[in-house]
Amino acid sequence: MLKIEDLHVEVDGKPILKGINLEVEAGQVHAIMGPNGSGKSTLAYVLAGRDGYEVTKGRVTYKGRDLLEMPPEQRAAEGVFLGFQYPVAIPGVSNIYFLKAALNAIRKHRGEAPLDAIDFMKLAKKKAALVQLPDELTKRSVNDGFSGGEKKRNEIFQMAMLEPSLAVLDETDSGLDIDALKVVAEGVNGLRAPDRAMLVITHYQRLLDYIVPDVVHVLIGGQIVRTGDKDLAKRLEKEGYSEVREASRL
Amino acid sequence: MTDANRQTLLASLPSSFDTGPDWLRVLRGRAADALREQGLPTKRTEAWRFTPVRSLVETEFSVDDRGVPSLVSALPDGVSVRHLAEVLEGQPELLQARLDLGGVPSHFAALNTALFRDGLWIDVPPDTLASEPLEISHRIPTSREPGVVYPRVLVTLGEGAELTLIETYSGTESGQLSNAVVEVDLGRNAKMSHVRVHENAGLQVGRVDVRQAADSRYRSTVITLGGALLRFDVRCLLQGKGAQCQLDGAYLLEGDDHVDHHTLVEHQASHCQSTQTYRGIVSGKGTAVFDGVVIVHRDAQKTEAHQENRNLLLSDTATVHTKPHLEIDADDVICSHGATVGALDDSQLFYLRARGVPEDLARAMLTYAFLESIVDRVSHDATRARMREALLARIPYGEEIRGVT
Repeated sequence: MLKIEDLHVEVDGKPILKGINLEVEAGQVHAIMGPNGSGKSTLAYVLAGRDGYEVTKGRVTYKGRDLLEMPPEQRAAEGVFLGFQYPVAIPGVSNIYFLKAALNAIRKHRGEAPLDAIDFMKLAKKKAALVQLPDELTKRSVNDGFSGGEKKRNEIFQMAMLEPSLAVLDETDSGLDIDALKVVAEGVNGLRAPDRAMLVITHYQRLLDYIVPDVVHVLIGGQIVRTGDKDLAKRLEKEGYSEVREASRL
Repeated sequence: MTDANRQTLLASLPSSFDTGPDWLRVLRGRAADALREQGLPTKRTEAWRFTPVRSLVETEFSVDDRGVPSLVSALPDGVSVRHLAEVLEGQPELLQARLDLGGVPSHFAALNTALFRDGLWIDVPPDTLASEPLEISHRIPTSREPGVVYPRVLVTLGEGAELTLIETYSGTESGQLSNAVVEVDLGRNAKMSHVRVHENAGLQVGRVDVRQAADSRYRSTVITLGGALLRFDVRCLLQGKGAQCQLDGAYLLEGDDHVDHHTLVEHQASHCQSTQTYRGIVSGKGTAVFDGVVIVHRDAQKTEAHQENRNLLLSDTATVHTKPHLEIDADDVICSHGATVGALDDSQLFYLRARGVPEDLARAMLTYAFLESIVDRVSHDATRARMREALLARIPYGEEIRGVT
């Protein structure tokens, strides 16, 4: 599904990612763990196509095609979804109607007919219930006046609506209390599917108690220094990143 | 009309005024004297620095009598609308001291005072609540030659009266000048919502002058949809304790449009509140000017005054001059002002695109949302819906956005 080869990325001329290699198969959930400043969010943004992230070397193949060539909206249309660490508030643009524009743009790209208002609202109601997002929030301006937890639930709600093939979830757990975390994790787990891959980026192991990954990578200093199964995350929790950093130098 | 009838604006002033009631002749005479003395503004006149006023001052226009706005809505119960000419003929005493713009007017307003022939008087008697909006339309007439009209409107609300007034100004092509004056007089506790829509007209100069008694509320929303040269001045005099005014504006410029908004709010009494929120989008080679002044007199304690002007520039050749400022002589006041000029927010744009919204549509959605927040403040539902439509008609992808916001 996703193949990252020797990816080097600079931001403002400063190297952030220094040779990432990663392969995610359909149906798998990979976790990327790492301390602050290790390049986790940079990886997420590069995959989604944000401006200002310069790929100086390497390539990213998604479903056999060059992902880096596509503008962000095309990536979304091809099934890539980024769950933002800090979802942006957009006063004046309604959550639900913006999502309708997005979904119908994606459907058009796939050669499907647009959903009419009634079918769309039915679908939205069903998906909002999945993450317990109140009706009234789906109708408000995008993330405007939402609490931290509501913003994250809104991200997963949108993901459920757009049904991506590859979901990159950037610190979906940050700013959530344990109850909100469970709701979000349940929402994500409900979307696990044999034809869908997920890249779950997090600082803490806590989230991985609820979204159990198939593979765990440790990202430090712009490189993946360790790869293992879910027990690696547990070990990290106990020993901390510095231990892993030391060990990886051996 | 032939060339022989065309004159520059100043040259069209008669040497004496021989018709109408005495007080009006005096008023017109004083306005004409002031004009002859000061002339019309030039680039060196501070308040006109950024307005390409020379084209107006030097052009020869023929005076066109078709400048009386027409009533296009039903007349709400209890509200009266009369022609100024008819009242001046039959009961001039009713208008005495009500058409003087609060003193000797200057420049274009003086020109209107000296030369208007007719207009409308909208009166809402005390304690009358007009349930539906009253709408008047100013259509600048088409003509093969440059013509000038002098629309004049007087709005008076008695104590405790309420009115929503919608004014639309539309023209056909450039070359025709509308030089309008609207005076508003609000009694104690009166409430007025005033919506003005200026659509693609050539040349418009307009002045709105509001005088507010104690506890009155005046709320103005002006939507300006481009034009070769539009210049609007609003002045609110908060004369009675506890009066409030809210001035909102949204403007959308493209091509070679030039739009100038000048506001002046004078806090003359205590416990008054004023807010000004103007937002604009300028693309192409458009130029927008916002010049807002709040004056707080020495006795106007407990004043609250806020001013904000935000602009989005969508091209490298678009220009904005913005100057909100405060002059405060009282000490117990809460005042703020601010201005911004920027581009669309990159992080918002990326968020929409990352979800699959095509870039052009995402830009249009954000552009519309920026102005829509002003339209949103119009409280009358049907009017607000119309304002939205007017904006959508001007914004790329308006059809798609209609269902999106």
